[in-house]
Amino acid sequence: MAMTTSQTDTPASAVTLPSHHLLGIEGMDVLTMHRLLDRASYFADNLTNDVEQTLKGQTIVNLFFENSTRTRVSFEVAAKKLGASVLNISVAGSSVKKGETLVDTATTLNAMHPDILVVRHHASGAPQLLAQHIDAAIINAGDGRHEHPTQALLDALTIKRRFGKIEGLRIAICGDITNSRVARSNLYLLGGLGAEVRFVSPSTLLPPAIGDMGVAVYHDMAEGIKDCDIVMMLRLQTERMEGRETPSQHEYFNLFGLDSDKLEAAAPKAMIMHPGPMNRGVEIDSEIADDHERSLIHKQVEMGVAIRMACLEALAVTAAQKRSA
Amino acid sequence: MKTLLKNAHIICPVQNFDASGYVGMDESHICASGIGAPKDEASYDKVIDCAGAFVTPGLVDMRVQSADPGFEHLETLETLLKAASASGVTSLVSLPDTDPVIDNRTVIDSLTLRASKLGGPRLYLYGALTQGQKGHHMAELGLMAQAGAVGFASGAHSIQDSLIMRRLMTYATMFDKPIIHHCEDYQLSEGGEMNEGETATRLGLIGIPSAAETIMVNRDIELARLTKARYHVAHISTAGSIDAVRRAKQDGLQITCDTAPPYALLNEHAVNSFNTAFRLNPPLRSEGDRLAVLQGLNDGTIDAIASDHAPVNRDEKAQPFGQASCGASGIETLFPNIMGLVANGSLTMKRAIELGSTAPARILGIAGGSLETGTAADIICFDANAATVIDQTKFHSRSRISPFHGQPAQGRLAYSFVNGALVHQDTN
Repeated sequence: MAMTTSQTDTPASAVTLPSHHLLGIEGMDVLTMHRLLDRASYFADNLTNDVEQTLKGQTIVNLFFENSTRTRVSFEVAAKKLGASVLNISVAGSSVKKGETLVDTATTLNAMHPDILVVRHHASGAPQLLAQHIDAAIINAGDGRHEHPTQALLDALTIKRRFGKIEGLRIAICGDITNSRVARSNLYLLGGLGAEVRFVSPSTLLPPAIGDMGVAVYHDMAEGIKDCDIVMMLRLQTERMEGRETPSQHEYFNLFGLDSDKLEAAAPKAMIMHPGPMNRGVEIDSEIADDHERSLIHKQVEMGVAIRMACLEALAVTAAQKRSA
Repeated sequence: MKTLLKNAHIICPVQNFDASGYVGMDESHICASGIGAPKDEASYDKVIDCAGAFVTPGLVDMRVQSADPGFEHLETLETLLKAASASGVTSLVSLPDTDPVIDNRTVIDSLTLRASKLGGPRLYLYGALTQGQKGHHMAELGLMAQAGAVGFASGAHSIQDSLIMRRLMTYATMFDKPIIHHCEDYQLSEGGEMNEGETATRLGLIGIPSAAETIMVNRDIELARLTKARYHVAHISTAGSIDAVRRAKQDGLQITCDTAPPYALLNEHAVNSFNTAFRLNPPLRSEGDRLAVLQGLNDGTIDAIASDHAPVNRDEKAQPFGQASCGASGIETLFPNIMGLVANGSLTMKRAIELGSTAPARILGIAGGSLETGTAADIICFDANAATVIDQTKFHSRSRISPFHGQPAQGRLAYSFVNGALVHQDTN
């Protein structure tokens, strides 16, 4: 199959992954990125139709050590659309609260033979640790400050379906880069697909060695989003605006919050994205967030289901091939 | 109206002038300056023959604490600006230790507006580094920079938490403004009354080791190395701190520092009388430290001399030495003190003007410090050799406690111009 950077001519088929797990975007080859996006685009076109039940008979466990309504529900909907049975384990009711270690939890779950484990954890690298102790395929649903691969993929899908391409687009990711797994995964994915990715952030919310990652960094919103096709705002946790990382919500909104004045610096038809949940009046003005002409925020949520369908299916197909080999 | 000062000894460190010459100014800016005689004397409305007196850029006092707002019984903005105009200070920068603390743009806007109505010397402001000067939470540096803050300072406080200092330095790099820090390790200085040493031992006063300053200077230099911040040590006073700054400059860091006249002219022996005018923070140091200050002033390690003017009154000083408030009035002794350092051979006149005017203006990116054509006409004219005696009872400032009271001094100011306007003329 020839490597293409746009839509394939034939209907996209299920993707086989080079790895048994989906732990991150870093190191993913460009062909896999395109195939996942193409397959997800097919699902996106058929979100209200019946699709082939490729996960029928499979057990998928949502193991969330961090609260997340949006991501968990998105995975659950995606899995059910493909016919899987889904089990949700939230940390509040689990034995982790009783002092069980992560590895013990994994070993216990492994004995129940789930097919795919969807893991969200507050510590960077937790899914990698689980992957060493469990037979099921693991999909990283966000680990600490490290990666959130399905968020980056759904962002890429949203962009691709809106602009028809990713290559050559100028994309500003703005806000708390230090603590953002979304920023890292998007840098690898959107950068890998040929977009020019920039980070716009207060100097205190940028990792000190960010320059070594080969990304352009700006501390001024107008300068950073100048001529950008996409302005992606990140959530800033309120505890980071109490004088330790930044002085106040007041100063943050004035300097780094996206409002219509600052947005004028971007390209004329620039679109706004946000992984949610939003802090209105902090990193984004409501007027912008709710502007249907400019905001892709709801589209991102919709594409989340399609991307997770493609990813879960890919893990199942990859596991099946491995078993038959 | 155009004014010409001719037959003057012109000192301009920027243009390297140190000879007989002239300076011409229009309504606000310098329109000509040079060595020798002016060519177009007839084009001026007013010509002043300086008869060999010095003409230099006015003093830029980068460390002044205004008591207003909040402590107007000690001093008002009006008396402070009057004191400045009468003593050759054409620009002053005030610290944020007011009440309310200058830690938001509203206070900056309000003080700037009031100063503009008073006229006279230019008033610039530092924004506080932390909210309420408490040392824990970053203040709104960005909004204060937008409102005109020329730098960020901790006032008389020292920030103990290294993490917050690191973040402040990192954050301040976005606005290209220096951080001005009073360096003091509180755990070492707590309860201290004067410099630690033989004098303190004899007087039975609790000592403050020079390490209390030196340790903090070294910490900050390492943080500035890490963050690439612009960092300025305020009123440097120990040999160890000066060495540290010297090395940091050799390493290419953007580090500057100032000292105040007491640390160049006095030492801890002054405390022998228990006179609370000598209770300062940092404390008067050893003679070795004082000599290190003089060396630093000459070799370029110390960039600037600032008055360290602090509003204090008699009540606060009429206490046993260790309980008296720290600080002294300084703005009206800055000029005679600098002239004293020239007269006793410690500094050349050109270096003195560089320290008192050119360097602070450059560090803060503000007007003044130069006689170049096109720059703001902030100019002083003075007789450097006139003998005077410092008399704190004659201060324009309401703050009338000086460690130099009664001391003979040098220099008499003849004229002072701010933005081309005559703000002071010697009437004697």
